[in-house]
Amino acid sequence: MSQFPELYEAILNGDAKAALAYTKDAIDKGLDPELLVNEAMIPAMDEVGRRFECNEYFVPELMIAARAMKGALAEVRPLLVKKGTKPRGRVVVGTVKGDLHDIGKNLVASMLEGAGFEVIDLGTNVTPEQFVAAVKEKDASIIGLSALLTTTMPSMRSTIDALSKEGLREQVRVMVGGAPITQEYADEIGADGYGENARSAVTLARKLVGAE
Amino acid sequence: MLPLKLIACEIFYRELCAAVARSPGQVDIEFLPKGLHDIGSSRMVARLQESIDRVDGSRYRAVLLLYGLCNNGLVGLRAREIPVVVPRAHDCITLFLGSRERYLEYFHANPGVYFMTSGWVERGRDAGELHQLSIGHKSGMDMSWEELVRKYGEDNARYLMDQLCDITRNYTQFTYIRMGVEPAEVFERRVREEAGSRGWKYEEIDGDMSMIQRLVDGRWDEKEFLVVPPGCTVAPSYGDDIVRIAEPGT
Repeated sequence: MSQFPELYEAILNGDAKAALAYTKDAIDKGLDPELLVNEAMIPAMDEVGRRFECNEYFVPELMIAARAMKGALAEVRPLLVKKGTKPRGRVVVGTVKGDLHDIGKNLVASMLEGAGFEVIDLGTNVTPEQFVAAVKEKDASIIGLSALLTTTMPSMRSTIDALSKEGLREQVRVMVGGAPITQEYADEIGADGYGENARSAVTLARKLVGAE
Repeated sequence: MLPLKLIACEIFYRELCAAVARSPGQVDIEFLPKGLHDIGSSRMVARLQESIDRVDGSRYRAVLLLYGLCNNGLVGLRAREIPVVVPRAHDCITLFLGSRERYLEYFHANPGVYFMTSGWVERGRDAGELHQLSIGHKSGMDMSWEELVRKYGEDNARYLMDQLCDITRNYTQFTYIRMGVEPAEVFERRVREEAGSRGWKYEEIDGDMSMIQRLVDGRWDEKEFLVVPPGCTVAPSYGDDIVRIAEPGT
């Protein structure tokens, strides 16, 4: 059981208001923000992921839980930064050039945040050049590329090629996902991994940074 | 010469009827529901394969598919005793615009476009009998406002309505493709009205019947169509040619 059952339950139930109120109150009382993240937020999102995998939760439940977690996390983030707490890893995400479908990408971004990663979300229709610039600027360890259309899948390959051309391919792990993407395609374009859903994207990211 | 069997998505209803009417040879059409696109690629492939398998190979010269790769909805399809002909296209818009080069050019110059044709107006929305199987339904994307409020409360319902329930939420424009076979102004008007109510831009462009016509007429240039020999299967090529024949054993 979590040390902070109220926060844990609020996230699990997607109760954004309760999660935020509890977090504010805890901070006012001088509780360690890192403890809130590690003992309530991350375990709650782990449990959400487990329930999703077991078909106890579906996409809406996943989304509202992530929303509650994000609200609480936004409250403690400035304190973590001040304290110098290191994230588990830094992930740049976006939908590739030409693709405006971001429901899946947003879900993955939330789940990664809920797993302790810092997520830099470049949004939709992101060009290879923009991905390269963000990796450089943010010193990201992982990049997550999303596509819903087979029409835009070639942009994944061009993004990986752009990273190689800039000499960044060795320093960043590339993960890909989206409805038409397969492990075979990930292998074909030289990506480091493929996640079938938001839960497996988190497992993969942890593996890629050597945390699992 | 034996006739051709054409298995088509109903989204092409008007265009295909016109193309077949003009074709020098006999073409027998089987239309399948547009909702096949919404049930996941493996189910879609299975339904298409059923239709291919029902074709009597002694009575036809080839099976034509009026489909694009459609999110891998054709991957793994097998030709039985006669060849299967597949357009090299990501989706139906290539076929409406007459070439995949023209589609890609327009697509990349106009991000956020939702294409419309007479078929998309008439048949584009409802998955019909397949609705219960659809990915949207299974993901909760088709829930009504009342249903969302009941399950998740008003605050979360508003969030889900905005974030999950509208796959076109980042789209900004309807482009109506005039194919020239449908009556003027009937469909344009409806799309224009919907653009107005969504606050989207509206554009009309001329379509091109020639690729559909070439498929129907049996003019299958390998740059435009993949002819899958008997016993072989369709695979994605991940390149400009979009589809290829799978290596044996895969």
